[in-house]
Amino acid sequence: MFPVRSDEPRYTRIPDVPHPEANRYGRSIETVPEGHALRGASLNINGDAGVGGNPNRYKQHGFYFNADNCIACHACESACSEKNDMPPHLAFRSVGYVEGGTYPDFRRVNISMACNHCDNPVCLKGCPTRAYTKFAEYGAVLQDPDICFGCGYCTWVCPYNAPQLDPVKGQVSKCNMCVDRLEVGLKPACASACLAGALDFGIIETTPENREQLETRIPGFPTPEITQPNVRFQQTRSLPSEMGRTDVMPIKYVKQDDGSYRSELSKAEKARHWNLAKLRSREDPLVIFTLVTQAVVGAFLALFLGGLLGVEALQPERHPVAHALFLVALLGVETFALALSTLHLGKPHRFYRAFNNLRYSPVSREVAGVAVFYNALGAYTVFTVLPGLFGWLPAAWVQNTGLLFGGAACVAGPAAIWFMHRIYRIPARPFWNHWQVLASFFGSVLSLGAIVVALVFGSLSGDAVLLRGLAAMAVAGLVLEAAGLYCHARDLRAGVGEAQAAHHLQITVYGEAYLARNLLLGAGVLLALGTPWLGLPGWWALALVWLPASAIGRALFYVLVIPTTMPGAFFWRNRGFQEHARATGLAEMPQVGVVPDAH
Amino acid sequence: MLFGRAKKNPIKIADKGVVEWKYTTCGYCSTGCSIEVGVNEDGVAVSSRGIGGAHVNQGKLCLKGIFEHELFKSSGRGSHPMVRAKRFLPWHAVSWDEALDKVSGEIKRIQSTYGRDAFAIVSTGQIMTEEFYTLGKLARGVIGTNNYDGNTTLCMSSAVSGYKRSFGSDGPPGCYDDFSHTECLMAFGSNLPEQHPVIYWRLKTALEQRKFPVIVVDPRVTMFAQMADVHLAIQPGTDVVLLNAMAHVILKEGLHDQAYIDAHCSDFETFRALVEQYDPDTAAPICGIDADTIRNVARTYAKAGAAMSIWTMGINQSTHGSDGVVGINNLNLITGNIGKPGGTSLSITGQSNAMGTREWSSASGLPGYRALEKEKDREEIAKYWNIDPEFLPKKRGLFQTDIFPAIETGQIKGLWIVATNPMTSMANTSRIRKILEKLDFLVVQDAYQDVETTQYADVYLPAAIWAEKEGCFTNTERRVNLTRNAQTPYAESKPDLWIFTQLAKRFEQAKNMKWPEKAEGVFDELRELSKGRFLDYSGMSYDKIEQNRGIQWPCNAETAPDGSPRLYVDGVFNHEDGRAKLIPLPFVDNNERPDGEFPFWLNTGRVVEHFHTRTRTGKIGNLNKFSPTPYMEINPDAGARLGIRHGEYVRVTSRRGDAVVMAQFTQRVPPNMVFIPFHFHDCVNRLTLGLLDPHSRQPAYKQSACRVERIEEQSAAARRNHDARAF
Repeated sequence: MFPVRSDEPRYTRIPDVPHPEANRYGRSIETVPEGHALRGASLNINGDAGVGGNPNRYKQHGFYFNADNCIACHACESACSEKNDMPPHLAFRSVGYVEGGTYPDFRRVNISMACNHCDNPVCLKGCPTRAYTKFAEYGAVLQDPDICFGCGYCTWVCPYNAPQLDPVKGQVSKCNMCVDRLEVGLKPACASACLAGALDFGIIETTPENREQLETRIPGFPTPEITQPNVRFQQTRSLPSEMGRTDVMPIKYVKQDDGSYRSELSKAEKARHWNLAKLRSREDPLVIFTLVTQAVVGAFLALFLGGLLGVEALQPERHPVAHALFLVALLGVETFALALSTLHLGKPHRFYRAFNNLRYSPVSREVAGVAVFYNALGAYTVFTVLPGLFGWLPAAWVQNTGLLFGGAACVAGPAAIWFMHRIYRIPARPFWNHWQVLASFFGSVLSLGAIVVALVFGSLSGDAVLLRGLAAMAVAGLVLEAAGLYCHARDLRAGVGEAQAAHHLQITVYGEAYLARNLLLGAGVLLALGTPWLGLPGWWALALVWLPASAIGRALFYVLVIPTTMPGAFFWRNRGFQEHARATGLAEMPQVGVVPDAH
Repeated sequence: MLFGRAKKNPIKIADKGVVEWKYTTCGYCSTGCSIEVGVNEDGVAVSSRGIGGAHVNQGKLCLKGIFEHELFKSSGRGSHPMVRAKRFLPWHAVSWDEALDKVSGEIKRIQSTYGRDAFAIVSTGQIMTEEFYTLGKLARGVIGTNNYDGNTTLCMSSAVSGYKRSFGSDGPPGCYDDFSHTECLMAFGSNLPEQHPVIYWRLKTALEQRKFPVIVVDPRVTMFAQMADVHLAIQPGTDVVLLNAMAHVILKEGLHDQAYIDAHCSDFETFRALVEQYDPDTAAPICGIDADTIRNVARTYAKAGAAMSIWTMGINQSTHGSDGVVGINNLNLITGNIGKPGGTSLSITGQSNAMGTREWSSASGLPGYRALEKEKDREEIAKYWNIDPEFLPKKRGLFQTDIFPAIETGQIKGLWIVATNPMTSMANTSRIRKILEKLDFLVVQDAYQDVETTQYADVYLPAAIWAEKEGCFTNTERRVNLTRNAQTPYAESKPDLWIFTQLAKRFEQAKNMKWPEKAEGVFDELRELSKGRFLDYSGMSYDKIEQNRGIQWPCNAETAPDGSPRLYVDGVFNHEDGRAKLIPLPFVDNNERPDGEFPFWLNTGRVVEHFHTRTRTGKIGNLNKFSPTPYMEINPDAGARLGIRHGEYVRVTSRRGDAVVMAQFTQRVPPNMVFIPFHFHDCVNRLTLGLLDPHSRQPAYKQSACRVERIEEQSAAARRNHDARAF
């Protein structure tokens, strides 16, 4: 057990106070009832089999933050980092701020934030490896770095920036609620360290001594509706009607009629830039993985279904060698894409854990979908290309089994793309949380699939039926993509601040690239419509126009997202400063707290 | 409820494997927090925590204390004594004997050629009291230079001077416990949440138990200003006018404590005559706040049953620093707010042992608040040290800020710098560079070899740091607290005490004097020398200090066995007549003010994550990351007019030089002021003027004028900034 000192001050003890039966979301504050199987077990902290004596062990606990009082002294963050032995570039708890007013009528509101051990732990649901557990003990949501394979999906879905992806170790870790301290009745290290009467801790829905509010919102804090976080606030002092951020995110918080603050775009910068170099990101492998997988699924659908529909050029026996090579090539590029997506993990050797959370995680489902598609495609290829292997079976069996696998791939492929799109429908990432993702992913399936098949089989046969069919498919894909983008831009402009801000980045910081992609998309539609007249050169032109445009578009998709996450400070947790430190070499000094780029 | 895994792995939480906790006192600021340093079974310091039962911090620490154990392994530490023949030649490591022979030889050579005072010593507020005392014994009793001072001239000298002028002696009369008794607190140029967060916590805790008005005087909207009931955003450098005007209101409206004044103060009538001229309507345009606010604040303060003032560098670092302190003392004297619970003039000190050097280092006099000017004091010390009283000068020599100009003009040829970094900390860096270049001989003694001043050194002596040594610090509220040895010194570095005694042995005069090897042996000398005096240590011992978690002087077995929370409780002061002086403070504005060419006030100050010149905090990632590179607060409206952008590098220019900093737009500062933290090398002190206070010789860092320019080539600016950052 955590050693309690003889002179432990009173303020470090968690008060044993009465609390309501259920929290404001209707959930019982008691995590499991008396006699439940989860009761009485040891937390096994560092191999200690003891069971803590905290009388409120099975009650949901949470942090309490008094925004009136925080002075940004960093004691909470530091006590946390000291206790958890954190390197400078990571922190389970961080303090950022919003500020507003005009000198001397100026207010800065500092916000200290860590994990909120939510009632609806989206991290737990999203994690494909099931590295997360919500414990009946204190309602703590804990993450096990030994299970994690470093995909970072939890860092995408969490609205509070709680899970920390360590690019050095390639794994996530996060606030552990100091459950070792809780077991002996002590508040977490951060709350015990607070020097301003700002951060506190206790059973959720209880108001600490000398405090008067139990709010769930303060300016700068994302909507509690996404996760039902176990954090409560006090913020009684009047604030200016606009509170701005100091970090690079172009977001401000504007007071609404009901007194709450809503995020809005804060900058009116007009200049358009290319910033092509900035399109490179940690998610580069995903740009390739998603596009390749969509192209492969599309190409296979065209090939297989076209063949079934009797398109002459697509019959295996029509171009036996090319057909075989084509299938093998599809398998080959998909293998490459899968390898890339695996290497994108912090711990690629744990890739097999991706399937562990089929019940909740869209990542697991996507991986499963792609795996089924890939295997079915592989089996179909074997049966189609090497029927001789199965010479000992009746020929019809071989053919039908092949067809069965082809059919399976036709179902699994689109299903995989559906789940792939589900990955990005994250409430904390408004830029992604739009049907445009679906339109884009299936748009790519259609357009890229059509182009690939047209370039190969069109060249071989010049089959007009085939090319017309493929042209229809490409046009459908491109129009779908364009419709998605149009509605996306329209809805972003009308959306929350993070959506507006992402769109603003899209038309300014990356404005030229965005414009180029849109023009290329328009050109692509025209070319696709014109292919029946332009013939093969038309398809080559379409490929030349649309492949780079797709890459730019997908790269934009990853770099533009602005999470509804906590405001940063001027240096710490400021994406702008992090990029600057990497670009100028400041990051090479480890004490700057920014890890230099790996690539 | 959704729980996830049924079968759970054991939970892993970092366990640093602490097997023993060692008692120490924080070595950064003078709050004086008690810290336990945790060592693992290999004896390596791996953790720090506040001591739960300690008076001062009651288990709390600020972020610097929380990571203080990381100091021992921080980069840039000196591993060996280093010597070089010329400053442009490379260093080479030598033995301690060789290095100390070289130092003593150079001191003797310079003194015999140019006179005893041609060798100067500038020390610090960072080393232990026992070390200060021993350095003083060496400087005054052996080397015999009168040009010996500490860097406390840059931070606390105005407070010392103000206390001496008002009360007849240095020594802050109050304590933190006064927060729990006061009915009104006024803070002048003190940003507790940033500078002294644990003292802020004590104040905040007192406020939560019992609300009382807090008035903050600061031109910036600091967190403290934001938390205050009244924020007086006065014009820089006009505190004395505000204080005079408050006194005017109090006297005019008869809110003063006539009985206290009659019983305990002198010169009331001359004081009254002067403040008569400072009615609030005259003061208002000078201070930049309205007259009614001044009246309101004066009334609130005077009517409070007990009222206290705290101040820090906003007062001290000014051309009227000493006067500002006297003005605060005047305010508290006329309202009878000295020596009573909740009523005090409490200077919030800067360095961990600024008080220790004031008390014992002999830098401004002789040990134990003795004065060179007093024959009795000289004789007592000469006898105790076993030297000829005539060896001691009869008048204090130069302050640190006058030692450098004396090098410039050639009176001083050799300099020994102990644990301070004038290359970053002194105003007008380029002048300091030229001055250091002129020295015949410079020896730098510091825990860090990368301290920027070594650029001009001939000899570098690597010192042990903090709990690699043993000894005492005195904090802001006169609490003497102990640091036990928790680590062996890094590589070949040695405790400063050892360096001083070993150097002393190389001088003939030291042979007949006592040089205790152990800090506790030195402490016995302090007890003997202070017995029965104002700062009585006689009732203390190391074990008792540790047991009590620090003891406030005076402490003696007879009347105050556990120390004394307050001074002047009986209203008897240390001037000859036993009275406190009410000193009239005429105001002359001699600051460099913004004008057409340099339109901004240049304000400087501290940030919570850094200490002084970053030689320590700049190496600890978990501190440094909060401000790893220099920046400037500038009002967004002013920034927009200049065409600069938030987060861009800008060039700031003054009549002294220029600096490149990152612009941070914030309404925290007015449109005609910029604020730049002073911690960074080759940065804000390239710009500062540092006019000196006539009494304390403390530089005015916070009042000068500058201009801000846009930088077209941001990448070149980034390169320049990067190249200026060795850490």
